[in-house]
Amino acid sequence: MFFLRYLGGEIRSRARQAFAIALGLAVGVGLVVTVTAASAGVSDAQAGVLKGLYGVGTDVTVTKPPPPQPTPGSGGGGGGGMRISAGANGKPQVCLSGKCSSGAQTIDTLTSSSYSPLSYSDVSSISKLPGVAAAGAGLDLTDRVMTLPADMGSGGGMPTSNSFDVEGVDFTHSKLGPLTDGTFTSGHNFTNADANSNDAVVDSNYAKANNLKVGGTITMAKKKFTIIGLVSQPQGAKPPDAYIPLARAQALGTSQGNALTGKVNTIYVTAASSADIPAVQKEIQKQLPSATVTTPASLASEVTGSLSSTSKLANDLGRWLSILVLIAAFAVAALLTVAAVGRRVREFGTLKAIGWRSRRIVVQVMGEAVVMGAIGAAIGVGLGFAGTAIVNQIAPKLSATYQTPSGQHAMMMGANGPTSTTSTVAHTVSVPMAASVSGGMLVLAIVLAIAGALIAGIAGSYQISRLRPVDALARVA
Amino acid sequence: MYKLTHVARIYQKGRKKVPAVRDLTLEISDGEWLAVQGRTGHGKSTLLNLLGGLDRPTEGSVELDGTDLAGLRDKDLTRLRAETVGFIFQTFNLIPTLSAADNVEAALTPLHGPGARRGQRVTEALEAVGLADRAGHRPAELSGGQQQRVAIARALVKEPKVLLADEPTGNLDEDTRDEIIGLLEGLWRERNLTLVMVTHDSSVARRAQRVGVMNKGRFSIRQDTRRKDAGKQGARDDRKKVAT
Repeated sequence: MFFLRYLGGEIRSRARQAFAIALGLAVGVGLVVTVTAASAGVSDAQAGVLKGLYGVGTDVTVTKPPPPQPTPGSGGGGGGGMRISAGANGKPQVCLSGKCSSGAQTIDTLTSSSYSPLSYSDVSSISKLPGVAAAGAGLDLTDRVMTLPADMGSGGGMPTSNSFDVEGVDFTHSKLGPLTDGTFTSGHNFTNADANSNDAVVDSNYAKANNLKVGGTITMAKKKFTIIGLVSQPQGAKPPDAYIPLARAQALGTSQGNALTGKVNTIYVTAASSADIPAVQKEIQKQLPSATVTTPASLASEVTGSLSSTSKLANDLGRWLSILVLIAAFAVAALLTVAAVGRRVREFGTLKAIGWRSRRIVVQVMGEAVVMGAIGAAIGVGLGFAGTAIVNQIAPKLSATYQTPSGQHAMMMGANGPTSTTSTVAHTVSVPMAASVSGGMLVLAIVLAIAGALIAGIAGSYQISRLRPVDALARVA
Repeated sequence: MYKLTHVARIYQKGRKKVPAVRDLTLEISDGEWLAVQGRTGHGKSTLLNLLGGLDRPTEGSVELDGTDLAGLRDKDLTRLRAETVGFIFQTFNLIPTLSAADNVEAALTPLHGPGARRGQRVTEALEAVGLADRAGHRPAELSGGQQQRVAIARALVKEPKVLLADEPTGNLDEDTRDEIIGLLEGLWRERNLTLVMVTHDSSVARRAQRVGVMNKGRFSIRQDTRRKDAGKQGARDDRKKVAT
């Protein structure tokens, strides 16, 4: 076909120039692909951190701030309605929910102190809201074991304490929550038959540190639970140390001395689509005005550390840099094409003289531009892959720091007397970043390169349309 | 047939007006060979451009078979050049990246004919100029004379009525010049073309039926051998009849 022979001959004979145009486009496209891949890697890392906090499939979490703790002298004290004091004879006295006992003892409590309780029935009503695909619940508790010596007076011992985090898992409404993201390294997950049993799943890191195995036991609130599985959570998560059925957590746990029957303290919600998340957040807040309704977007803004700053860098500076380079690449391609058309004035003048319409010549030049764009796209994709590989090689490990309630309360002396505040604990996790090129990015690269080539072709075509053959031929003469 | 009536072409150079052609009245018959001579810058190429529809007159009319070229739109002029007019240039003006065959085919591209027929016409055109064996060679691989033959093939492949040649032998040596002029003369006779040729070379001009001279934009006829030629040709034809 004449069109293709002309096009091929032109590209081959002006290979160096064609390559220069293609390379210019390729550099711009390659940078866009690399920055987009890095940005996607950072976003994936962020999502991984958030997923680790929430679990798979969770778009919204609902919690309630912990209630203020009673101040000294107001008639209460310690966590979970517990008060410890050393008696006049040095023997320790423990008052738990109003009941007191003295002497050496071990106290094992399962309490909710990070969040205030929510009604379990709120899960059903939330699941019926528009835009909600599913809702489930969890009960976030802390098991505290405190061992008191026989004598706490002068020369006597000090109490020792140990604590670990426990999650009451709801398998009635749906499978949401921190356990869903884990991988079982040993044993198995809960089944519906375990709803009221003293079975537990233990985090594999906690199990390793405490020499726990499947088939062994773990004690919570003085009850022995049989370990049925060990679960490993993804890096970035701060998972509970143990999981028990929600019914057992409700039965054994307390919040400020009150039972937790029919209570949860975290509701996990999946939206029908990401576009529904803001509306779902709003509806839940309306239904539960005193609750804290958190989405990944709001949590992302609270995550600090190098992950956060890298995300800003990739999204802001990276995006603008790649746009500028792309514009420069398009401009260079256009200038080179216009220069090439200028050098072919005699050729195009002759074609017009022998009867070619401007439109036909433009089609030929645009065809050449598209081919150069395709070559630029191919090289650009290669450069993008290379750039992405370099980013993965040299990028330092990122860190993400986020705050969670510690369940501890501190007394502050203010102008108006002592007040209780809830403290938070900072968690910093190391987050690997893996930039990767997706199919969508490849399509984007090809589209950008072809678009740049077409812009260059249009610039050249404008020259052709204005070319008078008599002027073109006169230049030769 | 061409009919030029009081044609003028005036260029505007800033405030100055430069008349390239002044008040030219001329008729060119079908099948005639007109040579145009004159010094550089006196309007020879401008006259050729007007005849070929590459330029429009500032005054007057240029009619080809009754159609005033000045009144045609650009796309109609382009169509006219595609179908009716063949051009031959001093510097050949072949496309350097195309083979000889593809250069010839370039003249057929605007006519949108079927591919197979196009190939046949290209082959026939190259055969007519004696370059069928060079069809696959690019211009850089051909001598000056061969390149001009390819240009002639390109001009003739569409079977035009008119052939306009601007110094076709200007870049060639003497022997090649004679070869090319001989080829053009043969094709002119064979195909009954209307041939208008600009040339500096008097030995070439003398072979034409009429020789015109452009002098500062004004045209005059120096030599007219049309009646003699017609007479000679008639006598030749009579002798043939008697012989048979």
